[in-house]
Amino acid sequence: MSFFSGLKVIVGLELRQRVRGVAWYVLLGIFVLLVAIVTLLVGVVARSSYMGNSETGGWLYSLIIYFVLLLGTLIAPALSGNAVNGERDSGTLATMQVTLVSSAQIVLGKFVASWIATLAFLVASIPFLLISSAFGGLAPITVLLSVLALALELGVIAAIGVGLSAILARPLFSIVVSYLAVAALSLGTLIAFGLGGIAVQSEVRATTISPVYSSSDGSYNESNTFTCGSPTTSTYSTPRFDLFWPILSANPYVVLADITPGQFDSHGNPQDLFTAIGSGVRAAQITPDLSPDYDYCSENGYSMSKTSEEIYASTVPSWFVGLALHLLLAAGALTWGIARTKTPARKLASGSRVA
Amino acid sequence: MLTTTGGIAVEGVRRSFGSVRAVTNISFEARPGTVTALVGPNGSGKTTLLLMLATLLAPDEGSIRINGHDPVVDPLAVRAIMGWMPDALGSWASLTVRTTLQLTARMYGRDVAQAAARADELIDLVELWELADRPTRVLSRGQKQKLSLARALVHDPSVLLLDEPASGLDPAARIELRILVRRLAAEGRTILVSSHVLAELDELADTAIYVERGASISAERVARATSSARPWRIRALEPTSIVPALIAAGIPADAIGADGSGILVSVDTEQRAAGLLGVLVSAGVEVTSFSPATGDLEHTFLDLQSRHDGRVDGSGR
Repeated sequence: MSFFSGLKVIVGLELRQRVRGVAWYVLLGIFVLLVAIVTLLVGVVARSSYMGNSETGGWLYSLIIYFVLLLGTLIAPALSGNAVNGERDSGTLATMQVTLVSSAQIVLGKFVASWIATLAFLVASIPFLLISSAFGGLAPITVLLSVLALALELGVIAAIGVGLSAILARPLFSIVVSYLAVAALSLGTLIAFGLGGIAVQSEVRATTISPVYSSSDGSYNESNTFTCGSPTTSTYSTPRFDLFWPILSANPYVVLADITPGQFDSHGNPQDLFTAIGSGVRAAQITPDLSPDYDYCSENGYSMSKTSEEIYASTVPSWFVGLALHLLLAAGALTWGIARTKTPARKLASGSRVA
Repeated sequence: MLTTTGGIAVEGVRRSFGSVRAVTNISFEARPGTVTALVGPNGSGKTTLLLMLATLLAPDEGSIRINGHDPVVDPLAVRAIMGWMPDALGSWASLTVRTTLQLTARMYGRDVAQAAARADELIDLVELWELADRPTRVLSRGQKQKLSLARALVHDPSVLLLDEPASGLDPAARIELRILVRRLAAEGRTILVSSHVLAELDELADTAIYVERGASISAERVARATSSARPWRIRALEPTSIVPALIAAGIPADAIGADGSGILVSVDTEQRAAGLLGVLVSAGVEVTSFSPATGDLEHTFLDLQSRHDGRVDGSGR
């Protein structure tokens, strides 16, 4: 029996069981309802006078994609986190292990099935993605890369869930650990980034030259004559987020934001949520100026703050670091899971049973 | 398909789980064409032994050969010829009986058409026609046992490991199971059966392996136990006539007992039993039934237990 025919049987077995379960359809129904509400609300805002005639398709599209990622990461651990140990608990894993399918086929088959089940949420959101494209301003490259990255990220969560379900004996425990893994990537990276930046502060020594007006009482004078005062220095501390920005690259939302090319309007403002979050995250790469000079006496003292587009252009992308880390985690979880499902088993996890 | 040589050969197998020594030293052979019973109290290591034979657990020490293949070195070769019926009744709750059998056949490398044909054959064999297209969660315990047996037979294995196959079966289904297992053995398969229902194994098995505290019991000890005194049950048209006749025949009063269906007498050999029957008949007792009160396996099992524990009702630990 070839590897793929065995894999296909396991995937078929998993999907058949899922398709006959009610839970999955309920989740799918709730998901579609939520996306419909979000689309409707964004659509109403887009049509309002406040947004004028600007193209809002990019915003709506990126919002829906993020929503699919959010719900996908909330649902995938539940769908995959008991794939192997749940079957061991119900006594059916051993009946598969005595057949000619290998433990690699069992674990990978369950992973593929979980992935497909999670991708159904992306498929269910297609009508809303089409609606968003009707609002205009949607770049095809953004669509292509974001869908690809979203599918990969959902696969990573499914792989971590299935891998943990093979590594840990108790289904409840492996589901909880899967959720903790998702939380560590989605929220943990944000917390680590924020705390790290605040904990490490640098002292800023700012030199300020202010204009001194000739009028003795200091009131504004028509003649508008002033002299430049002597430079004053002030010190304060600033958080060093630039030292911790690589942590953010492990965040799946950041991967999605960073992998899509920035879309800016003619004023250099973001045109979708990916770009908005992406340029925000990239701004953290910029090292703060620790000895700035503020010369309010001369014209060039009033430097224009940078636009999002300028920040984007002056920094480096990081999505491949995050994505590589996620794929490594997924591959590691699956490899370890396969090793723990190998038979004849030499060691058993305490509290686990063979059949 | 079936090989003429082979069977199961187990030599000095040991397996521990942490500090629990589940199997300490089991050796035996099971030959093709025979049904071998695996007898022992709960917790004696029967299921652990079957898991090792089924390629699911690796032994810590000792060797196992199934039709000449080592399950540790070449599990796939063993799996291709070995059918295992677990004691746990696991089934995919939402799938139908037919789908379960088809998918299992596919896991043994059969294509879709072969799998469908094989599933139909097996549904026929274990008589689950009415339930073939119902989800397996509606099956009763006995029906699940039938499904489990069918699943073990999917790939026409030459070695069958049956862990408690009769539990949950009604009397009619037990008889059918016995006939089926005998037929499978007659086809040249090696069959190893573990069961607690010793009376049933008596009629099913050709030979028996006794295990106790993870170790197989030596042939000499089994032989001693087999030939020891055992109770015989006597029934007559006039039950009250039996005891006086027995005392008259020189049986000590403390060797005579009674249960709900007759008088029990402890007799050590079959020759003596035959002699005693002659004495009773010639004494005018109208004997309607004269038979061992316990089956051969049960007798040996209980005797081994009592010699080990110093009590007859021992449950192993």
